[in-house]
Amino acid sequence: MVCNCDEAEPGTFKDHMLLENKPHLILEGMLLGAYGIKSNHAFIYIRGEFKAGYEIFTQALAQARAAGMVGKNIFGTGYDLEVTVQRGAGAYICGEETGLLNSLEGKRGEPRLKPPFPAIAGLYGMPTVVNNVETLAYLVPVLQKGWEWFAAVGTERSKGYKIVSVSGHVQKPGNYEIPLGTTVREIIEIAGGLRPGRTFAAVQPGGGSSACIFDEHLDWPYDYESMSKAGSMLGSGAFVVFDDTTDFVKAAYNLIRFFAHESCGQCTPCREGGHWLEKVLHRFVQGRGLPGDMEMLLRVSSSITGLNLCALGDSIEPFLKSVLVRFPDRFEARVQGRQVAGVR
Amino acid sequence: MSDRVRNFPLLAAELMPQCEALAAQYEERRSALLPLMHLFQSREGFVSPEAMRFAAGFLDLTPAVVESTVSFYTLFYRKPVGRYVLQVCRGLSCTLGGAEDVMAAFREKLGIGNLQTTDDGLFSYEEVECLASCDRPTCMQVNLEFLYDLTPQTVDGVLAAIRGGTSGVAPLPQTERPGKTWAVRQDTEVSEGEKMPGDTGVPDPNNAGGLGDRTGLIALDRIVNDDAALLGRSRERTVRDASAIDAVIREEDRAHAGH
Repeated sequence: MVCNCDEAEPGTFKDHMLLENKPHLILEGMLLGAYGIKSNHAFIYIRGEFKAGYEIFTQALAQARAAGMVGKNIFGTGYDLEVTVQRGAGAYICGEETGLLNSLEGKRGEPRLKPPFPAIAGLYGMPTVVNNVETLAYLVPVLQKGWEWFAAVGTERSKGYKIVSVSGHVQKPGNYEIPLGTTVREIIEIAGGLRPGRTFAAVQPGGGSSACIFDEHLDWPYDYESMSKAGSMLGSGAFVVFDDTTDFVKAAYNLIRFFAHESCGQCTPCREGGHWLEKVLHRFVQGRGLPGDMEMLLRVSSSITGLNLCALGDSIEPFLKSVLVRFPDRFEARVQGRQVAGVR
Repeated sequence: MSDRVRNFPLLAAELMPQCEALAAQYEERRSALLPLMHLFQSREGFVSPEAMRFAAGFLDLTPAVVESTVSFYTLFYRKPVGRYVLQVCRGLSCTLGGAEDVMAAFREKLGIGNLQTTDDGLFSYEEVECLASCDRPTCMQVNLEFLYDLTPQTVDGVLAAIRGGTSGVAPLPQTERPGKTWAVRQDTEVSEGEKMPGDTGVPDPNNAGGLGDRTGLIALDRIVNDDAALLGRSRERTVRDASAIDAVIREEDRAHAGH
């Protein structure tokens, strides 16, 4: 059993909050999860940057050990469970479950070819369940209050609660626990709404890897099915709001640079594609785009998707494509010799 | 300047029981590689070649495998860094919240760029990817301790608190004087956030089995090659970046040799 606390998806900060404020909840979820699958060794892989979180969790683990909840013959049941806390060292790709397992084995955090999936052959080739912090944290209230409590909210197909990390151009960014199916507009309102005088431009509803959704989706429910139907995804639950002041060319460059930087380099389309997109977008940022570049951005990004071992490569296209198709004029204005007055 | 004369064998002997305890946590000892490197870095201030060779022997791996693994992770510094490593978030949410101005302020006040260390060895500066604190832009870490809600106006205060010893953040050990940058030649990003095509982390492109080939074997190069203007720019950039980076490294090698 492995708990994935290598949170690094741009816009996501729920695990960071849970780790520093609710370490016991995560640990209890891990213990219950491990007991559920009869695992005798549970790991939590904590992002290297979360030094304080690591220390807090280690302390919580020591308390649990002292209370007899971890170790040999827990509460006289004959069940043994060891818990090991592992620190990462700065690599987004280790949040990919097989990259995480390789890193946990002391290797480069390069994702593995799947299948076999971790549930068949994971850590040290053993069947391994890898779950996110939020999933395991919810295990505790669900077991206490019953599944009926959890399933009582949400939509027909997306049931329960979700922690949404709202950031960007809202007045009160933060983590909000909402029933799935809350509308996009409601989430923006919960987070304090837009700043006075600003108008809505877009939302990236599922972290850096997801495509933007726009005005026409404001009253759509925020759930797995609707976000997928809107051409995006719910992803990590990171909800980044953009108002009318947003420079979408810079935003696209920012995210592409992220993926190019974090590509592990195993798969050529992702390694080279992300890198070249970054270079081309950098030209746009400087107002030096070339004729034909916009088509090239679309062509190169679409030829990365689906050709990689893991989802990082597939994460490169969605945001770029969504804003390029929606706001071609913003990019057009940055093609060399076509600067339009007033465009920053 | 340094904390003490480095005596690696002594340090290794001191840390041996901790190393054994770390390795004993796992079904396979190799899993202890990252924890070992964290441990040695916490004492030496960086992951020294001696520490990597020690880990190789301790875990029965080749030194090349250890270095390859260590080089994968950006939080392992393979060369000495400053007493305080300042890592400012350049992620999208922080950028929407004004991170560019904060970064410009740090660069100006420190007089250094990304991945560089001040001459006095006090500060190392890096612009890093999303630090998972997007609700409080701009965020940063000082020796991995979080600071939030930064603005260009608060940058001076952050630096003053560190210099004055009131920041509450402990300095890193410094067992060797840092150079101008802790980036290593084969790192994919060495100056101003730019990369060179074909930079795959392979030290010698001639032995890279084609990965480091810059003549257009890579499919995406062909797209660029279709465009004469682009090709000219790309080659020009490649040559310029490569010589600029080599110059920094040569300068640094000279500084080390003269040290």
